[in-house]
Amino acid sequence: MEPHSMDEFEQELRQALERRPAPPSLKRRLMERRRAQPAQSHAVAWQRLAASLALAAVLAGAGQWTWRAREERRRGEAARAQVLVALRITGHALNRMNQQLASHGRAQQ
Amino acid sequence: MAHDWQPDFEQLVDQHQAMVFSLALRMTGDRGLAEEIAQDVFLEMDRHLNRIESPDHACFWLRRVAINRSADALRRRRVRRFDLWVEVEEHHGVPVAERASPLGARLEHLLATLPEPQRAALVLRYQEDLTPEEIASTLATPLATVKSHLQRGLKLLRAKAESHLKEFVRAKDRTHGTTLDGRV
Repeated sequence: MEPHSMDEFEQELRQALERRPAPPSLKRRLMERRRAQPAQSHAVAWQRLAASLALAAVLAGAGQWTWRAREERRRGEAARAQVLVALRITGHALNRMNQQLASHGRAQQ
Repeated sequence: MAHDWQPDFEQLVDQHQAMVFSLALRMTGDRGLAEEIAQDVFLEMDRHLNRIESPDHACFWLRRVAINRSADALRRRRVRRFDLWVEVEEHHGVPVAERASPLGARLEHLLATLPEPQRAALVLRYQEDLTPEEIASTLATPLATVKSHLQRGLKLLRAKAESHLKEFVRAKDRTHGTTLDGRV
């Protein structure tokens, strides 16, 4: 029957859109998935733990590498400072020796 | 807020599976996908069961999540709605007992060709018998928008139904005429 008024059409639509019964497999599959969830969540927890450990190892490695690089740089700078001090001392000693040689030469003349 | 009601998951499934499945079916037009969505919706509810405060809240929550998950699934699959109903007929074979009248079946078929927001509003209005205010609350959409979706959706569906029904009646007449000719 062709709907003539909006009310009739709406009535037809309401009948057409009555709830359909869910397939019998829905509840069965749902319960199976629900039962499988704890095992799945354990697996996920283990995966997360493994990923966390791997991340921690990577971070620790990176930290150690950074610390070593910084330590080497510090040692290098300390060695450079020592060399500079040694050069300064040597410079002073040479200056003093030059001065003594100069004064000795003047005394001989 | 503390609530005394203790939800029973299995009981909620028994009570609402037809509603959730039908919402997903009308939104996606695919029985297989609708069943999958319904399962996902109930499993999501299971994870949030402690937040469900009352039977009405459970029903409201299920409607909202079923519509949202169906919309997500449609977006993911970029479903061609009209074709899906052909697929439904061919592959998922709706049992005869579940079928509505020929006009009803056509209306259901045509509903799948409407834009998604209009379809959601019409399904909640005519399947779930919700008022526009309740639909607005379920879809978290302004009331004026819901009213507009309902009005436009109904108008579009009516126009499509009238045009299709004319073809349907003509085809029926032709078939009938051929049979008579055959007898003569």
